[in-house]
Amino acid sequence: MKTFYNCFAGTLRTATLVVMLAVTPAVPAFAADDIPRLPSGRPDFSGIWQTNSPADYDLEPHAGRRDAPPGAGVIEGGFIPYLPAALEQRQRNFERRAELDPRLKCWVLGVPRSVYYPAPFQIFQRDRDLTLLHQFGHQVRTIHTNGTLHPVDQEQGFFLGDSRGHWEGDTLVVDVVDFIDIPWLDRAGNHHSDKLHVLERWKYLDNNTIEYRATLEDPKAYSRPWTLQVDLQRNRDPNAQLIEDYCFTLEYEQYYPPKKD
Amino acid sequence: MRSKITVWLGLGLVALAAAAMAAEPTGTGQRFTREISFPLIAEGKWPGRQLRDGQPDVEGFYSNTIGNHSNWTNPGRAPSRVTDPADGQIPYQPWARAKQEEFVANFDNPTRPEYIEPLARCAPGGVPKSFVWHGFEIRQFPGYVVLLFDSGSRAIHLDGKPHLPDKVKLWNADSRGRWEGNTLVVEVRNSNGKAQLGRKGDFIGPNAVINERYIFAPDGGRFNYVATVTDPETFTRPWTSTIPVKRFTEKDEPDNWNYWVVPANLPGKPLLHEHVERICVENNGPFGGGAVGVPFDGPVIAR
Repeated sequence: MKTFYNCFAGTLRTATLVVMLAVTPAVPAFAADDIPRLPSGRPDFSGIWQTNSPADYDLEPHAGRRDAPPGAGVIEGGFIPYLPAALEQRQRNFERRAELDPRLKCWVLGVPRSVYYPAPFQIFQRDRDLTLLHQFGHQVRTIHTNGTLHPVDQEQGFFLGDSRGHWEGDTLVVDVVDFIDIPWLDRAGNHHSDKLHVLERWKYLDNNTIEYRATLEDPKAYSRPWTLQVDLQRNRDPNAQLIEDYCFTLEYEQYYPPKKD
Repeated sequence: MRSKITVWLGLGLVALAAAAMAAEPTGTGQRFTREISFPLIAEGKWPGRQLRDGQPDVEGFYSNTIGNHSNWTNPGRAPSRVTDPADGQIPYQPWARAKQEEFVANFDNPTRPEYIEPLARCAPGGVPKSFVWHGFEIRQFPGYVVLLFDSGSRAIHLDGKPHLPDKVKLWNADSRGRWEGNTLVVEVRNSNGKAQLGRKGDFIGPNAVINERYIFAPDGGRFNYVATVTDPETFTRPWTSTIPVKRFTEKDEPDNWNYWVVPANLPGKPLLHEHVERICVENNGPFGGGAVGVPFDGPVIAR
């Protein structure tokens, strides 16, 4: 009886699988209908996100060193196609990275670095925009998805650039322009100029994973556009919450508040 | 490029610069004028639109209407923010009053780092000072009210979860709230007490509890911010501040101070205002520049 039952169940499972194979089109194993969505039907990226990738240590492939674990790199093709002068700048940055990385002053990290910097950020989403509140420093980024265009004046030099997004199916595509040339791309001194143009693609791989791709174009720094890719993981810890980390305040906060003598 | 950012941030007499800019109309909207008195708003039902999670929809741009961020209690060009006690003064313990007066005596010529206003170093504005600084934006999401200030942000949690443990102290504190009709009720704890209330050394200690009530008018056009501070280490009694706040819309004229927005680029569509990026410390030019230790341009963290 037991044997018969098992055989029967196995047959059922096999039959079900055959039926599924027969009716399921050739798509990856996740079901697009399972991802969180806004009432409008757009994917809802609300949540606390952070990458497990060591991208922020060095975007390019590298062995372990005193201030960085090893990494296979996150760039398609492996390396950033710098123009000669920009490559020399990267070398100078690398040599003095322990003093010059803007992160050490807790400055706004810029785009795309703020996305793969190893600290959580929280996405709050409405139909008209996404608000990216970063734990590190004081950066708050708005990605507009309300049909607005980049400002006519594109020489304002923002640390985070100006982000305008639109949807291509379930992928959020964000065009980011108008940067200042101060932010770095990682702790290894990789950098960009004020002519940086970033095209981001955000999409759910499953409910708790976002695939993030950024193509960087910069005629003053790179010989051609190049693309990096990291995954972002949803923080599901029971105590998960953003705790402010302004940290540029650390240099002087011991002077406040007044204390009773 | 840098000079433009410098203009945004303002160096030194930022208030005067903004007032000068505001004096030249840049659009066709209504010019905002400061109030010397303001209406009370009764707590009660919210008759307006609601968001999908049931919150009253109060999203938008706001600013205080009294325009005095330097001094919390001076009734000269605005009513004292202190509405209880009735004399409009902060009921300090003697030791705390002495510290506040010491700051005032040294503010113009700070010989020690503690005589520099933290906001002048680009520190977050803190609770409740942020409400009398530049205009700010309220964005709402299921379970949250997010306040985006000129100097720092606050995410008010509406999910009923407890505050962070007491030992975690923060510039903008830890905020847990709920809606009662037209009133957002928020308990604020975990402040580090470092952000001050103005430029007169007024402060609230690091173990204070601040109960905030954001009471919205039925038409959504304004709210009164009523904050009661309980901090027996610093004060002789609980005390309450009230700050009148007005909503700003496309009918209002941007003024680079209370309503610091720009027209979005949306050809052929009605006027839509949006906020632009604010930086401060990155510009290496907080308006305490030149004072002791300001600006500071070295590494701050080792992580």
